[in-house]
Amino acid sequence: MSTSSYLIRRVLQAVVVIVIVTIVVFGLLHALPGGPARGILGPQATAQQIASFNHEQGLDKPLPVQYFYYLNQLLHGDLGSSYTLNEPVSQLISERLAKTLVLTALSAIVGLVLAIPLGMWQAVRRNKPVDYVITTLSFIAYSTPVYFLGLILVLVFSQALPWFPSQAPQGDTLAQVFSDPLALVLPVVAGAASMIAVFSRYMRAATLENLSEDYVRTARAGGSRSRSILWRHVFRNSLTPVIAMLGYYVPVLFGGALVVEQLFNYPGMGLLFWTAAQSSDYPVLLGCVLVIAIATVVGTLLADIVQRIIDPRVKAGRA
Amino acid sequence: MTATQGTAAPSAGPILELDDLGVIFTTETGEVPAVRGVSLHVSPGETLALVGESGSGKSTIALAAMGLLAGNARATGCATIAGTQVVGAHEADLVALRGRTVSMVFQEPATALDPLTRIGKQIAEVIRNHREVSAKDAATEAVELLRRVGIPEPEMRATAYPFQLSGGQRQRVVIAMAIANEPALLIADEPTTALDVTVQAEILDLLRRLAVETGTGVLLVTHNMGVVADFADRVAVMYHGEIVETGAVEDVLLRPSHDYTKRLLAAVPRLSVAEAGRPAAPAATTRPDTEPVVELRDISVVFGRGKGAVRALDGVSLAVHAGETLGLVGESGSGKSTASRVALGLIPPTSGTVSLFGTDLAGTRSRARRALRAGIGVVLQDPVASLDARMTVGECIAEPLRVHRRKLSAKDRQSKVAAVLDRVRLPRELARRAPRELSGGQRQRVSLARALVLEPRLLVADEPTSALDVSVQEAVLDVISELQDELGFACLFVSHDLAVVQHFAQRVVVMRAGRVEEQGATGATLLHPETDYTRRLLAAVPVPDPVIQRGRRAERLATLAAGRTGAQG
Repeated sequence: MSTSSYLIRRVLQAVVVIVIVTIVVFGLLHALPGGPARGILGPQATAQQIASFNHEQGLDKPLPVQYFYYLNQLLHGDLGSSYTLNEPVSQLISERLAKTLVLTALSAIVGLVLAIPLGMWQAVRRNKPVDYVITTLSFIAYSTPVYFLGLILVLVFSQALPWFPSQAPQGDTLAQVFSDPLALVLPVVAGAASMIAVFSRYMRAATLENLSEDYVRTARAGGSRSRSILWRHVFRNSLTPVIAMLGYYVPVLFGGALVVEQLFNYPGMGLLFWTAAQSSDYPVLLGCVLVIAIATVVGTLLADIVQRIIDPRVKAGRA
Repeated sequence: MTATQGTAAPSAGPILELDDLGVIFTTETGEVPAVRGVSLHVSPGETLALVGESGSGKSTIALAAMGLLAGNARATGCATIAGTQVVGAHEADLVALRGRTVSMVFQEPATALDPLTRIGKQIAEVIRNHREVSAKDAATEAVELLRRVGIPEPEMRATAYPFQLSGGQRQRVVIAMAIANEPALLIADEPTTALDVTVQAEILDLLRRLAVETGTGVLLVTHNMGVVADFADRVAVMYHGEIVETGAVEDVLLRPSHDYTKRLLAAVPRLSVAEAGRPAAPAATTRPDTEPVVELRDISVVFGRGKGAVRALDGVSLAVHAGETLGLVGESGSGKSTASRVALGLIPPTSGTVSLFGTDLAGTRSRARRALRAGIGVVLQDPVASLDARMTVGECIAEPLRVHRRKLSAKDRQSKVAAVLDRVRLPRELARRAPRELSGGQRQRVSLARALVLEPRLLVADEPTSALDVSVQEAVLDVISELQDELGFACLFVSHDLAVVQHFAQRVVVMRAGRVEEQGATGATLLHPETDYTRRLLAAVPVPDPVIQRGRRAERLATLAAGRTGAQG
């Protein structure tokens, strides 16, 4: 299949997935007890106040009609207005999305840059002390909840040792966030920890599998040194499954950001989602979920495209 | 290619010398000696064939000579390549040796190359491992090597990935890598086992030509006596990790002295060939006039749709009658397995009709079709994968009874299993064992027992002995034909091995690219084929007699050359 027709097909698939996501989330949120009116107007609101609020917001119309209103607005870039912050959702999200993307991307890059060599090192030193130590640390990092890890990081590296600030830089623009790089260290480390744990495991397994492949023996028989075989052949072959996993890992990264942002008071989407969830702010929640869904779909799409570039067999439909 | 490396220069002594070589594997159950006290030598320009059945340790010797043994293996004794001791050598010394003085060609061309690296680059890597050559010059040299091993359009092919090449072409690439630095010794471990016979003949021709051109010594590891007769100067026969007999190829293959060699050679199915100049005997193609047990009429099968559609079968007609064995032969991709699956009702034909026991399969519903299937037994190629590892042997054999004879009591089932184990000449106690505890030949007999437990009218055997050693193959085939005499089932026997089919089948169907090339009585068709394709196929089969094989090879090459000049002129 040619690259352009492949891309068109994949993008269409992605759009279908996103539409399905909006339907599911829309349905789920409306199934919650109380509905949005109760959430906004508080427990003291009378039935009449609720009815008039619902009428004003179009919430008394049948659900499918509400959904299509929503979809129509969406196509015009309108995500509705926040019930509680009295601002357009699109504006709320666009202010914060970039910051969340920066935080997750930094965590992902730091995580991968450490996890991939660690996993390869473990595979080469299989069942040696180094392997056992990293394996143990990985399981500890993986099984520690992010909020707990964040608290420990703050206690140790901010309170006991005053190296890093415990709070992320505040401000509306990216420049303001980057004004104090030191303050980004702890949130990024907290976000990267589980990523290092998970991806060093993947990389270890993939490397071990490839080290036992016949082509490694062929390269050895041709007089190639172990180190050059590792980097020239095994590395690339082991990377393809890991890249595929990375696509699926995008929602996990966003989930992690939710906790990390709340913990370090980082003004991103995670914090917005958190406050919106607490106040049943439907339009904001829907907007956030939609953005995360798009990011996930785009993430897997990118992973597939990168895999297609690295592995020529994917393009030929042989792998 | 420069001749300045000096490694290929003829020296006085042998290029490879093994003296009292031993290899011990450390396993969970203790130390297992795989090779004991092996001594042999290969001189420059000569080919020594190391033959033996699976587990005899011949591949282990090849790997030990390269210093490529697995981590749990330990070598003792001496292995010297061009004066360098390999056993116990430092990795750095071995790296200098590998790919330069000694090279290796492996069995499985499908997995021997890095799937993500272009083949030209993989060849260039071997060149640059040992010589100070610029990347550009190495790339040019890689193209030259591809040309030398007979890859068409080498400039274009150098940028291809392994998956874009056929199995034979991949093996040529592996050979190009092996000869990149003109090694003094080439170790070839079953280099043609995974290839079709015509491709095998081409690869053997290529290896022979390269060895003669450069005076390279060759250690050829193989189980195929035909390949030995075709290629080797001397032969060493291995049995249980030891060499039992060594000698010139004519002596060992024609006048074996050791009992094991005699038994091994007796078990090799020999392709009978028509003597030149003798007129074809009148073919006795009298077909049984009973109604066929299974009949395929003008079957076509198309996989996929549109541009990517593949026509796997094209107008195939064949029939198998009660009590007879029909051999279905052809090279990989010829459609022989697809045809057998159509006969089983597993693949619905795109057009044409299949009648099984006189009933048209297309007109049957699933229940009736299942009842028909109770009359078919199946034996497949892989003795490991075709038995459920979580069941006991008895449960495996009883499974068809559970499906098709539901009213049978557990006791009756057991006695039927015991009876069928007797029939395939396996001890009844085996019923309680797990398949993994059995040898390959025993497992294939369990598959056969499972296929026969319902007393089928049709047995479909798809390469049932391809994964087995010759001595085991003989035993399994004997059991099938004895049971056929006893039970009278029809047998559709799919195989790539013409010699086996010649001995085992009464009639043969030769397939090529989804079509029936020709069919007839085995004796007539395989001795006096009517089509060029069958003739070429037969000519490519090496026979385990070095004298006859030499003549056959010359004849085959002459025919090919005549065909080429004929096509040009």
